[in-house]
Amino acid sequence: MVKPKAKVDIEKCLACCGCISVCPQNAISWTGGKALVDQEKCISCAICIRTCPIGAISGEGL
Amino acid sequence: MKYDVVVVGSGPAGSITARFAAQNGAKVLVIERRAEVGVPVLCGEGISRKIDEWKMLEGTRWIAGKMDGARIYSPDKTCVTLAAEQAGNETGYVVYRDIFDQELAQGAIKAGAEFMMNTQAIDLLKEGDKIKGVKAKHFNEELEIKCDIVVAADGVDSKVAQWAGINTKLPPKDLETCCQYTLTDIDVKDAYCEFYLGKEIAPGGYVWIFPKGKRIANVGIGILASLSESGMAKKLLDNFIENDPRLSKGKTLRFLAGAVPVANPAEETIGDNIVLVGDAARHVDPITGGGLTHCLEGGKIAGETIAKAIKKKDFSKEFLSTYEKGWKEAFGQKIKRNYLVKELLLDMDDKTFNKLAHALEQVKFDEISTHGLVKEVAKHLPISTKLNALIKHRKDIKELKKK
Repeated sequence: MVKPKAKVDIEKCLACCGCISVCPQNAISWTGGKALVDQEKCISCAICIRTCPIGAISGEGL
Repeated sequence: MKYDVVVVGSGPAGSITARFAAQNGAKVLVIERRAEVGVPVLCGEGISRKIDEWKMLEGTRWIAGKMDGARIYSPDKTCVTLAAEQAGNETGYVVYRDIFDQELAQGAIKAGAEFMMNTQAIDLLKEGDKIKGVKAKHFNEELEIKCDIVVAADGVDSKVAQWAGINTKLPPKDLETCCQYTLTDIDVKDAYCEFYLGKEIAPGGYVWIFPKGKRIANVGIGILASLSESGMAKKLLDNFIENDPRLSKGKTLRFLAGAVPVANPAEETIGDNIVLVGDAARHVDPITGGGLTHCLEGGKIAGETIAKAIKKKDFSKEFLSTYEKGWKEAFGQKIKRNYLVKELLLDMDDKTFNKLAHALEQVKFDEISTHGLVKEVAKHLPISTKLNALIKHRKDIKELKKK
């Protein structure tokens, strides 16, 4: 089964850089002033999800 | 386009580096991906009054309030007070970071630096392994900006450092994840910064109240990312505000989120043709999460070193090592020591914090600073905590002592 990947809710994202700073895969980057997770690089570790101070990143079951 | 120096990021570290490089003869361009310097603010906005000595800012427009002291509350709400009048020295300011940053940028511009907004660095220009400049996007236009030295002033998540092959990745245990309300119509009257500690309040961090005037304050939280769950920082902060009758009826003027490195300084802050400053270099006090003074102090050294490199046409790592030596002498040891203290504090439970606060409640502090506080804390720590810390961190302590 393919694991779900982390996704940023861009309506919620306040561009704090937390997720980008901790992603071990460098899978998150700036796009249009918001964080964007590269679905190819994401290894479903959920570190970004736990780090987000406002709960703007989700991934079902992660 | 060709410059001597391209600084990526117009925060305090970037602007001060640019200023001192330009002032000493370098042709400098600062690029900023945002539309306005200093906006959005990503900061608790507290700064030590040490900044007065450096005379880097003109006027007083950037000051929201001068602080009379600080109160630190342990989990059982025992209050340790650090008052300026007791100590006979001054504490700090709460600032308007947007104006603060813009004043610093103006200082750089006066010194001859150019600024370009809406310009995001997307890669480094390289010839083989050699850094030759910055690739950037200005709206829809792609630019190649050639230069001899690139300054990574692009914050905690520095991409420039990464592109240069310098690893600045942070483990979650070395990052505070933060959010903050600016609340008005609250019952905060005096000019005291308040800090609230406790595992239930803010695991691995603290809640702060920094007054910006009468009835207005920054109320924020930082928690350690390794102890965080999705959205936890905001939930805990909302909970804190709801349960504090002074704050619960406050109205929000601003809400923001941020991330602060609480790590050892970066191992590598220089390379051939590249210099790291500010949060990118992890120049932040790991206990308080405060970075402004180090960023400015380090940025000045960086700017001066870079100007000399340009004059000598020597952009090698070896030549730029004057900067690394400089910041290590100025505050490198302090950050390392405070990182060790941070680790020690993380091992302490709420009960120990309460005991400590009871012991410190009546102490008159002769020095209002993290250092002064740490010295007193060390005196009053239970023997068992001290011993455990000594055993657990013996290697790091030995290394610190060697220097």
